[in-house]
Amino acid sequence: MRVPGQRGAVLALIAIVGVALLVASSGTGAQHKRGGTLILLSAGDVDYVDPGQAYYSFSFQVLKPVHRALYTIPADVLTAVPDVAAGAPKVSGDGKTITVKIRRGIRFSPPVNREVVAADVKYAIERAFSVSLANSYAVAYFGVIAGSPATPPKTPKPISGIKTPDKYTIVFKLKEPSGAFVDALVMPITAPVPKEYAAKYDDKTTTEYGFHQVATGPYMLANDSSGNVKGVGYTPGKLIKLVRNPNWSAKTDFRPAYLDGVEVREGFTDSSVASRTILNGGADQNADFGPPPAIIKQVTTTPSLRDNMYGWPLGTTYVGLNTQKAPFDNLNVRRAATFALDRNAMRLAYGGPITGPIATHFIGPDFAGKGFEAGGGLEFNPFPSPNFSGSVAKAKAELKKAGFANGVYTGPAVTAVVSNPPITVNQGKVLAASLAKIGMKVNLKAVTTDAMYTKFCGTPKNQPELCPSVGWLPDFHDPVTLLYVTFSGKFIPESGNVNWPQLNDPKINAAMEKAKRIKNAQARYTAWGKIDRMITLTAGAIPLQWTNTLNLVSDRVVVAKMKDVQGQLDLAFTSLK
Amino acid sequence: MALLELRDLEVAFRTREGIVRAVNDVSLSLDRGRTLGLVGESGSGKTVTALTILGLTRSEQTEIAGEVLLDGVDLVTLPESELRDLRGRRVGMVFQDPLSSLHPMYRIGWQIAEAVRAHERVSKKAARARAVELIRGVGIPSPEARVDAYPHELSGGMRQRVMIAMALALDPDVLIADEPTSALDVTVQAQILELLARLQSETGMALLVVSHDLGVIAEHADEVVVMYAGRVVEQGTRDEVIGAAIHPYTLGLLESIPHVDGPRMAQLTPIPGSPPSAVDLPPGCAFHPRCTYARPSCAELVPALLRVGPDHRVACPVLAPTSPLTPDKPRR
Amino acid sequence: MRRLAWSALLIVLVIFLTFLVFYELPSADPAQLRAGRLATPALVAEIREKFGLDRPFYEQFWIYMKSVVTEFDLGYSYYKNVPVREEIFARLPASISVAVGAFVLWLAIALPVGILTALRPRSRTDRAVTGMTLFFLSAPTYWLGLVMLFLFARDIGRFPLVGGAGTYVPLSENPKAWFESLILPWIVLAFGFAGLYARMIGENLREVMALDYVRTARAKGLSERRVVVRHGLRAALTPVVTLAALDLGFLLGGTILVETVFNIPGVGRYAVEAIQNADLPAIQGTVLFGAIFIIFAVLVADILYAVLDPRVRY
Repeated sequence: MRVPGQRGAVLALIAIVGVALLVASSGTGAQHKRGGTLILLSAGDVDYVDPGQAYYSFSFQVLKPVHRALYTIPADVLTAVPDVAAGAPKVSGDGKTITVKIRRGIRFSPPVNREVVAADVKYAIERAFSVSLANSYAVAYFGVIAGSPATPPKTPKPISGIKTPDKYTIVFKLKEPSGAFVDALVMPITAPVPKEYAAKYDDKTTTEYGFHQVATGPYMLANDSSGNVKGVGYTPGKLIKLVRNPNWSAKTDFRPAYLDGVEVREGFTDSSVASRTILNGGADQNADFGPPPAIIKQVTTTPSLRDNMYGWPLGTTYVGLNTQKAPFDNLNVRRAATFALDRNAMRLAYGGPITGPIATHFIGPDFAGKGFEAGGGLEFNPFPSPNFSGSVAKAKAELKKAGFANGVYTGPAVTAVVSNPPITVNQGKVLAASLAKIGMKVNLKAVTTDAMYTKFCGTPKNQPELCPSVGWLPDFHDPVTLLYVTFSGKFIPESGNVNWPQLNDPKINAAMEKAKRIKNAQARYTAWGKIDRMITLTAGAIPLQWTNTLNLVSDRVVVAKMKDVQGQLDLAFTSLK
Repeated sequence: MALLELRDLEVAFRTREGIVRAVNDVSLSLDRGRTLGLVGESGSGKTVTALTILGLTRSEQTEIAGEVLLDGVDLVTLPESELRDLRGRRVGMVFQDPLSSLHPMYRIGWQIAEAVRAHERVSKKAARARAVELIRGVGIPSPEARVDAYPHELSGGMRQRVMIAMALALDPDVLIADEPTSALDVTVQAQILELLARLQSETGMALLVVSHDLGVIAEHADEVVVMYAGRVVEQGTRDEVIGAAIHPYTLGLLESIPHVDGPRMAQLTPIPGSPPSAVDLPPGCAFHPRCTYARPSCAELVPALLRVGPDHRVACPVLAPTSPLTPDKPRR
Repeated sequence: MRRLAWSALLIVLVIFLTFLVFYELPSADPAQLRAGRLATPALVAEIREKFGLDRPFYEQFWIYMKSVVTEFDLGYSYYKNVPVREEIFARLPASISVAVGAFVLWLAIALPVGILTALRPRSRTDRAVTGMTLFFLSAPTYWLGLVMLFLFARDIGRFPLVGGAGTYVPLSENPKAWFESLILPWIVLAFGFAGLYARMIGENLREVMALDYVRTARAKGLSERRVVVRHGLRAALTPVVTLAALDLGFLLGGTILVETVFNIPGVGRYAVEAIQNADLPAIQGTVLFGAIFIIFAVLVADILYAVLDPRVRY
């Protein structure tokens, strides 16, 4: 998933242990009260309110209690559980047929009102493949479905590999076995969409279903009697208003849904103003921005405010080295750069220890105990230096091996394109200072985050030698989403590339293709652990941090058990004092 | 008692460059039905004198001494509010450049009516009717139409007629005309002067004409006062000053009068040199650097204004040195 | 008529330049942004075709101009898929509230202060105004906004008095809340302008008060108040009024910083979002509106001048 603006990398890898049994609503006890409207503050807007289009952690947070997917990862449990599905998916012996039963009694919100059936899930996935929706991950995660279109059709077209033998059963035929496909069923494009109602909106050049959507969760975007949401429950750039879905039945759901509603107030572009508003009780949580350093310092040094902030390890940030271009096409030069980089200073520029531990490889500490230890474990640190401050001596030794006499780089200057918020610009300066110690001059070029991705780091022919402001957060609980698209040589398109090192190592590619197909979770994680190690040793990317996402909450939010996959409040489990 | 009498009027301005003594020891008097001409080059203090009569030079930076008596009432010490009541009502004023002296954004009828309404409680309609009559009275054709014209829509002569109409709106006892014709064509100049003469004969008002052109004064004034560098250098009846001028400066002015009956440029004899700066006056007689009769002693003492005829006074120790008559008063 | 034609040509030129800037200079690629991070090249290509982004520059420009001229259709936002015209119209009341309120406030301050400084030059008021003007004009708007919020906003201020960021409500919904939410933005915008205008009015008035026709007015025996107001100010304000019309036009075109820092959902903030999202139709729309406001303001200023000063004729 795309990393939101200034926030830094955010990711959550939550290991799946089969599919856990549904845990019934735990909303008992005196600590949760019903009622109240929770207020979120955001700097920008969600990308989309259509569950088939949204692909942004902020949008996921807001839409999660509105659109129930086949499976979900609820707060507290941290493993996928059936949501619209009635139970665990049945995978055939050859791994190519997956059957999911649909829960009965779930109903769409007004004006549709009818019960959800398997065909609604089928249509939801089909529509995601159309240009009308232009969903970005449909092909990557669901392209394995037999009959899914290679070239996106203008408007939704049926996919032959999705069958609905009866009202409550949906069957997916896959082109090849895929361990990750089952995990991907938590993505919101599996949230049911009623075709008879939505088709008229989807058949336009760009779908307007988002503005007329119907909900399956405990909440819905406020709408008028015709179902129109725009200007009622959603005013772009201004307000999102969730109200209770009158057709939601607690019997069909495990969510306690304490709140009466949620309001997202947008446009709080100044993070210190917004942070103070939350600390003063004018709102309840930050949504798409992190608290600025001054606020972090204030909160951590003021005892009475400690409970108003929490962190959640969520992602890996790294410096991408362009392995297809001199000088970083040389392994020893890459290793030299990795040794030389003062990663402690990089973290200080990012905000210090509270922003998360320094990463020595890619799969983060949340996977401890899941089998990744096979790769060398969390402690795997092939490029050690005292206090992570870099080792010029070791770097020079590598440069000598690369053929530079005296271990000092004498080649032409390199370019680093950073995104232009001060934090990432400062990191770029730290990088430049570190590499200067081994004689490498770095020209910094700061551009907007979007331009950094779309014009430079994501377009191989324009790619500079260094991309220091990149990071990745996986979409669901499988390492394929963390390591595959970002390091597989199979995934280097001319534009929109996310394999920033342009790593194309046949051994790693093969290992990934193999690991993807392993059905046994433990074995699969072990395989990915080894791949993590292989990738780290290529030095194609210098891991920086397993970053924490820091969030602020107001005093009235019930703090316990509120984290969801993105480290945000799971709104359906949150209550107010 | 004269209608208007100035006694030892002094006006000084405090400026950044120092104190400018613009008017020194000016005394004159004017009666009903009479015309007094105040002559001098620019910077001679004649306009300041005229403006000071109505207190229009009053400001924090101005020091005014002496007396301005209107029917025996001293206007120099009169409070602003009472002085304001006299302006326009007892004393009217006409200025040099009618284009810049009329407000460019108001219709002329409105501007005349405003003068009426400043002193009389009359309806707007009545004031407007008065304006039409006044415009008619100064000889502007089709006054009903012209009353709604803006100043820039009229010719220079017409504008000055409007100014005169405005100044006469309340039938003042005194009309002060500051260079009433110098911004106008020669032919129009004569018309305006004739108009003033006619209006004076109709109303019996006293007329104070300020001009740099002794020719204008020579034809119309009963009495003449000649000023140079803030001081009176010669004053008397028209016959005394025009007919028997003594002061070299007056003589110079007289020679520079253009004669209508000859090739004008050829006969003009301007006074050589230029008027002195008010901040930095020459010592003694301020005119001595330009004076062909000057002697060394002229640079030492400011010459006294000495009586040389019944009403004739001259401030020149060279050309009127042996006068048996005593000075009016000691000079500072 | 000729002026109108020039105005129209100017607007076309502005649109053309915006097109050129956003097509030719490196910013984000809208199709890629729309497609998202994991999108396949096929999807990006389809999106490019859908929005006509694959067509040559001049063709896109022509299509856009045609729909603007014939139906005032500003196209659909790439990002939100909503008509740009509607989005801008929905945000206009907020922008107009900010601009007009600030305008009224700054004139309400500038007028009396300007007159005072003109009549009492080099006085304490005069110096205070100069100081205030320098402060409010040289202080960055954004910083000033933050200072105001941290001082006076009800939620986070040290002296909680009025509404803070994001408290804007439309006038039609709650006039009191509307007013309270806009006080700080008005102050931030108005004070700098007020100082500038006070000085301008003061200087103009000082000059006018030395003119012949003011002397004439005094000679007529008018009260000093009438001399200043009817004769002095009438002339001194004429150029100011036209300049104010221009400034109001600029403000209406988008008070980007103030709308951003105070989180007011106006056209200025829409423009910022549009630029961030490389949402070309939205960028075009906001630029077009800004241009229309400014060009319209220039026209109004000219007409006002002609109305106020009878010597000017068109």
